[in-house]
Amino acid sequence: MGSEIACQSCDLLVNVAATKHGQSASCPRCGGFLTRCYDNTDQRVLAFASAGLMFLAFASSYSFLSLSRSGVESNITLLQAPAALWSYGMPEVGALVAAFIIVIPATVLTMMAVLCFLINQGRYNPWLVPLAKGVFLGQHWSMVEVFIIAVIVALVKIAAMATVVIGISFWAYAAFAICFTLAVSSLDRYQCWERIEALRAQ
Amino acid sequence: MSDLPATAAKSHLAACHMCLKLASADVHQCPRCGSAMHLRKHDSLQRTLALLITACLLYIPANLYPIMYTDSLGSAEASTIMGGVVLLINLGSAPVALVIFIFSVMVPSAKLMAMFYLVWSVQRQSPIDRRKRSTLYRITEFVGKWSMVDIFVVTILVALVQLGGLLTIQPGIAALLFAGVVTITMIAAENFDSRLIWDNMEEENSAN
Repeated sequence: MGSEIACQSCDLLVNVAATKHGQSASCPRCGGFLTRCYDNTDQRVLAFASAGLMFLAFASSYSFLSLSRSGVESNITLLQAPAALWSYGMPEVGALVAAFIIVIPATVLTMMAVLCFLINQGRYNPWLVPLAKGVFLGQHWSMVEVFIIAVIVALVKIAAMATVVIGISFWAYAAFAICFTLAVSSLDRYQCWERIEALRAQ
Repeated sequence: MSDLPATAAKSHLAACHMCLKLASADVHQCPRCGSAMHLRKHDSLQRTLALLITACLLYIPANLYPIMYTDSLGSAEASTIMGGVVLLINLGSAPVALVIFIFSVMVPSAKLMAMFYLVWSVQRQSPIDRRKRSTLYRITEFVGKWSMVDIFVVTILVALVQLGGLLTIQPGIAALLFAGVVTITMIAAENFDSRLIWDNMEEENSAN
């Protein structure tokens, strides 16, 4: 019974014990995703998460985009984008945007790195459960890849009105988005919880 | 009995929504992660329907009111979501206009309709196309966040386009309304329990 999953989208009981490294399993009845197996999850997540966090630190310290027309110039960093909505009397939207593109992804990535580090230690730690809960709850609400598309659309929109220069921060943010996606896809919900339980049982 | 699919509910098991642990359906707290456990999400259809109606009500003003104001050399111009698409076509960037049209107009309305259809079909215990409806639900869940594109575009434009009297862009009330629509439909999709699509299958098979 230990290696059975109830499909999240149709409740069918499926045995996933035969899933090997690099393979993923999906439900035979409804086609829903069940689990993906990596033997080196900890290394993958730690590598992608630490690289991603470094890229994010870089992305928030330099110019993100700049704009000029007839000698007048305007310059923004990543954090100034949601802050502008705040100063225009829309704190709710500003807070939502900041949460979706910076706060949630950064928190999830940090928690993932700590979680995989602790699991890799091979000992049970009382922090494992709350960390894993935070990771799996938060990753659904990160919108880094959506923001990248939005930047491209915004560039096309203003290119007709003024000259736009893409700052180094944008490229760092794009690298952060890639690292984030890779880290999230390396940590499987089922496998992660099975390992936490195995550590607790020791 | 043997050719019936074995579901967790049939085996008197409930799966934890957080850690996927299987435990007896009588247990109310997950033995592995401590989350609250239930066989199916509580009041799934009512909650989903309530959130969908809220999103629909917000969706109307979100399209009628301006999402941003462009103030160029003293003359202010308001633009709605659809207005932005038309403007992009006039500027000659049809591909980008298509992106905005798909994410801000098609996806939110298609998503609302798909969710209404799913709730309706589960309510009347429809036996048809279960697999297709499951796929429809997964697509709906996946595309939800992509509707935020327009809000992010406004965020970037408002922050970046601040050239004094020459050219400024300010956010409009529709930005708040539309962000509400996207967030609420995402929560609605999360509240919908797609296992309900399959739940009446076993009874039917045994009746035949």
